[in-house]
Amino acid sequence: MGLVYRLLLRSLVTRARVIALSAIGLVGILLGLAIRVSDLSAADRSLVITRDLVGGFGLNLVVPVTALVFASAAFGDPTDDRTMVYLWLTPIPRWRLVAAGWVAALSVAGPVAIVPVAAAAAVAGAEGRLVAGTLVGAALATVGYTALFLGLGLLVRRALAWGLAYVLIWELAVARISEGAARLSVSVYSRSVLSEIGQVVKPLNAAAVSTSLIVLAATVAAAMAFTTRTLTRADVA
Amino acid sequence: MTAAAALTPPAEAPTATTIAVDRVSKWLGPVVALSDVSFSIGPGVTALLGPNGAGKSTLLRILCGLTGASQGTVRVLGVDPRTDLALRGRLGLVAQQETLFEQLRAVDIVALSAGLHGMADSSGAARDALGLVDLDPADVRPVRTYSKGMRQRVKVAAAVVHDPTVVVLDEPLEGLDPRQRLRMIELFVQLGAQGRTVLVSSHVLDEVERFGSQVLVLAKGRLAASGDFRAIRDLMDERPHRLRLRASDARRLAAVLMAGGTVVGTHLESADSVLVDTVLAGAFRRALPRAAAAEGIRLLEVTPLDDDLDSVFRYLVDR
Repeated sequence: MGLVYRLLLRSLVTRARVIALSAIGLVGILLGLAIRVSDLSAADRSLVITRDLVGGFGLNLVVPVTALVFASAAFGDPTDDRTMVYLWLTPIPRWRLVAAGWVAALSVAGPVAIVPVAAAAAVAGAEGRLVAGTLVGAALATVGYTALFLGLGLLVRRALAWGLAYVLIWELAVARISEGAARLSVSVYSRSVLSEIGQVVKPLNAAAVSTSLIVLAATVAAAMAFTTRTLTRADVA
Repeated sequence: MTAAAALTPPAEAPTATTIAVDRVSKWLGPVVALSDVSFSIGPGVTALLGPNGAGKSTLLRILCGLTGASQGTVRVLGVDPRTDLALRGRLGLVAQQETLFEQLRAVDIVALSAGLHGMADSSGAARDALGLVDLDPADVRPVRTYSKGMRQRVKVAAAVVHDPTVVVLDEPLEGLDPRQRLRMIELFVQLGAQGRTVLVSSHVLDEVERFGSQVLVLAKGRLAASGDFRAIRDLMDERPHRLRLRASDARRLAAVLMAGGTVVGTHLESADSVLVDTVLAGAFRRALPRAAAAEGIRLLEVTPLDDDLDSVFRYLVDR
């Protein structure tokens, strides 16, 4: 698995991707700086950091978009450039290929997404426990989203467009107004964990930490199984 | 270890039939890529001959399990290549596409292939495999700087590095210069002689002749002919040929050839040009200069009008 991991990681880390996504993360840090120098009261600042900076900008934009870019490319890139045949035509079990792709996507999406979001919260003047909550919430969201988007590169040609549509329509719109839909939203569970650890106001449709962890683990397991099935049945050019 | 000794015969004694294709069809949307194709082949070199678009690559992809057949069954070494994971360790494929891992060196790519197939000494195996295709394992340049011929040879090395029992090569001689072609043909023949099943696709008739092998002829998605290359060649010679003859007295030349029985039809185009139809290509080739010399007719030009590969395949399909 190490060989496949290194191969996929090498193809994922392109200068354009890292620069573009790091720039988005940098915007978050600049927003944090703006919040810090603003004349908001302590209570208002905490609310703005939690709801808008970490929850809105970080967990709803930076994390899912970063996870989408790297996870969908893990198998999307080899499919597009037609090097998938060299991976596919090996006796390695498909689940191991999928696991290697997921870990590769996590390895690069983690630092690019989690660090800037937590740094933005710290720069904005968040308390230690809120920064810790941000770290854990962003990490859980990254884990969930990368698993969810891993198979997208195998399924559709314009994975980024489809993934963005999912984030904007489902995670940011439908899951916010419908309690039923919220049960199928990575964002709601990661923000629930953030609010619990950070001791801040809970999001709409919040779940308990234990429930959030179980659902996110189940999401990862289901997404990996689906991607393995998709890879097994793929028509490889 | 010498390059020639780098490849060892397959560990197990090969069975008589290593690839069995039974009534296989494949639809790509509304397009019928393969239609009711059946054949079986064993160890040794088999050439898959056919014009571009005949369905060769689709058939090879099915044999490697890269796509499934819409209908029919395929067995490679007795198992379904679409579902049997272990088979992939015994298969080597030179895919049609040029793409490689562009930023890597040749030795890295071949070692990667060896590693992915579970070989312990992947670097050593890569060096040996590159030696087989006359590439320098110490070359530090990434393959994106390589010529098409060099890239083809990297692909061949990557396909055989793990000593596969079945080697499938999709147009492996494309982009190679004549010397490299000869070297590759020697290698494929050597692989076949070692007991491997080597299936090589090509759309070049003369190339296939050099394999001295069994031939499968695919045209318009159908298996048009199969068997020994010489038998196929004879079959191709027996088809109707049309030629344009330019001569100092075309009318008289046509009459003489008709009388000699090697020509079944003529059409006079002008005083010095006539179209002739023959079904005895070999006899006609021998009779033509003799007839012209005997009648004192100066032969100016002989142009075959339907000797392109497509027309040959069309004949084989339609007969």
